[in-house]
Amino acid sequence: MRVLVAEDHKRLATALAEGLRREGMAVDLAFDGRDALDHAAVNRYDVVVLDRDLPLLHGDEVCRSLADARSETRILMLTASSTIRDRVEGLGLGADDYLPKPFDFAELVARIRALARRSSPPLPPTLAHGDLALDPSRRTAVRDTRPLSLSPKEFGVLEYLLAADGRVVSAEELLERVWDEAANPFTHTVKTTVGRLRAKLGEPPVIETVREGGYRI
Amino acid sequence: MAHAHRSLAPRRWLRLSPRSARVRLTLLYGGMTMLLGTAILALVYLLSYHSAQVATVTTAISGRKRGSPPGSVAAFPVGALHRLVQVPAPDHTIAVDQRNSDFSHLLEILWVGLALTTLGSAVIGWFAAGRVLRPLRKITSTAQTISAGSLNQRLALAGPDDEFKRLGDTLDALLARLEASFDAQRRFVANASHELRTPLTAERTMLQVALADPDMTVDSLRATCEELLVAGVEQERLLEALLTLTSSERGVDHVEPLDLATIADTVLRSRDAQARARGLSVQTSLRPAPAGGDPALVRRLIDNLLDNAIDHNIPGGEVTIATAVVGTTAVISVANTGPPIPADQIDRLFDPFQRLDGRSARDDGHHGLGLSIVRAIATAHDARLSAHARPAGGLAVTVSFPAASASAAGPHVSAPPGVLST
Repeated sequence: MRVLVAEDHKRLATALAEGLRREGMAVDLAFDGRDALDHAAVNRYDVVVLDRDLPLLHGDEVCRSLADARSETRILMLTASSTIRDRVEGLGLGADDYLPKPFDFAELVARIRALARRSSPPLPPTLAHGDLALDPSRRTAVRDTRPLSLSPKEFGVLEYLLAADGRVVSAEELLERVWDEAANPFTHTVKTTVGRLRAKLGEPPVIETVREGGYRI
Repeated sequence: MAHAHRSLAPRRWLRLSPRSARVRLTLLYGGMTMLLGTAILALVYLLSYHSAQVATVTTAISGRKRGSPPGSVAAFPVGALHRLVQVPAPDHTIAVDQRNSDFSHLLEILWVGLALTTLGSAVIGWFAAGRVLRPLRKITSTAQTISAGSLNQRLALAGPDDEFKRLGDTLDALLARLEASFDAQRRFVANASHELRTPLTAERTMLQVALADPDMTVDSLRATCEELLVAGVEQERLLEALLTLTSSERGVDHVEPLDLATIADTVLRSRDAQARARGLSVQTSLRPAPAGGDPALVRRLIDNLLDNAIDHNIPGGEVTIATAVVGTTAVISVANTGPPIPADQIDRLFDPFQRLDGRSARDDGHHGLGLSIVRAIATAHDARLSAHARPAGGLAVTVSFPAASASAAGPHVSAPPGVLST
């Protein structure tokens, strides 16, 4: 899952990024409104965590632009103002959800996951394929009652392939959706991660390689 | 509340209460007409009565003495009375009876006329008063619908520049000022809550992320703790700035004689290293500038001005600070080189939490309160604050305090010009 955190308070932004990455999300950071729009124009994010009070371009404007683009990106607005009027305004601008500051990190994670599930088609809270089951919110993956110990990236790849529901997913797409922009697109990161994931999943093989296409479950 | 007022409004205007200006004006018109009418009619009646009496007596006398035909005294003011004199009145008493009955008839006519005039004037007065008071009604009904949330409404009375128009315009100007001050207050609260809640959120997130780390180590926890301490210091600074702002807005508690040059000198010494570290050259011209005020607040004012001049500067730039007596004012001016500032942004700089576009991250130790504290302290001291963008970039701020007489300023030490140049 790819997330953009647009927040001008650097300390908060970095803490959020650290926590969300540990949850297996690919996180990019933007410290002002224009930066946020630039990021959103280049990458396809599942969720944008948007602070309302951004410099250079106000969060409301960013939200409007993102909503006007009718992308599948879900917008979670953060704001220090907790009045109902502000909440209504924020949602009216096209935000999908609204979280007043200060919030609990666990709640933020839960809301991001809930928003990401609302992509089309809606995904169930637990992904399953054969004897393989994956619970994104609990960060657990089970194969035939055997719990799997996966790294965040391995988990992300497995989650994305399961969510693709049989569709062929290219290595580039995996790189874009599971890794953040710090990843080097010319490495074999995806290949090695998929290799390690296969080893952990064990027999019979679940992930299928499609020649010149990518991967499929 | 507003709804209750609104529903009451039409009834209040229709009610025939003596407290209603319309009713009072109507009563006034009617009453005046009645009084004047009564006076005029009484005058007419009395004159007629008097003349008739004289005529009757004359007729009676002349009729008896000379037997002259009746009607010779025809020059009677009221036509109705002609009959009186036409009466061949050998008998005086008949003429007097007839005259009395005619006069009571006249009185009836006069009464009816008076009543009709009074009624007519009351009706005309009612409509005239309604027309004259119409702008007032508009003012009332509009004012009743205006609440704190809809201060953007205006009366906008049309029509000639009369008393009502002037009242409406005055109220509009008052509303504009109220709206501006409400807006400023709302912005301040919104900004303050953002500035206070965001670091709080950051701290909570840092703690929760650190605690949720499955590979938590003593070192990772220590790093988090140290970061939290730094964040705490920043919050302390913000709170202190907010407290300074509110306390200086409250006014000056005690006024002492002070010299702007001495305080500027002290502040300069404490900021010297900071300016040097940024490679800035500081030009000073500190002449004695005695004034009265709270030394701590004035020091804070100069400190903030200098802080701003150093922070918003360019590498290898310049800071100029000067104090002097100009006319009846003690003036301190601080100017700095820096990025260009649009002229229309200057006023905004002195609003709380305002910062010019281009500064992105907020956790740089600045909260955009420095210059608003400067403005609050200047206002509390009745000092005039003026700021302008320098053409080559940067800001020049001048604060003019009402000067104290030289004797009241007490002893002061001032640095000779240029002594602190680095």
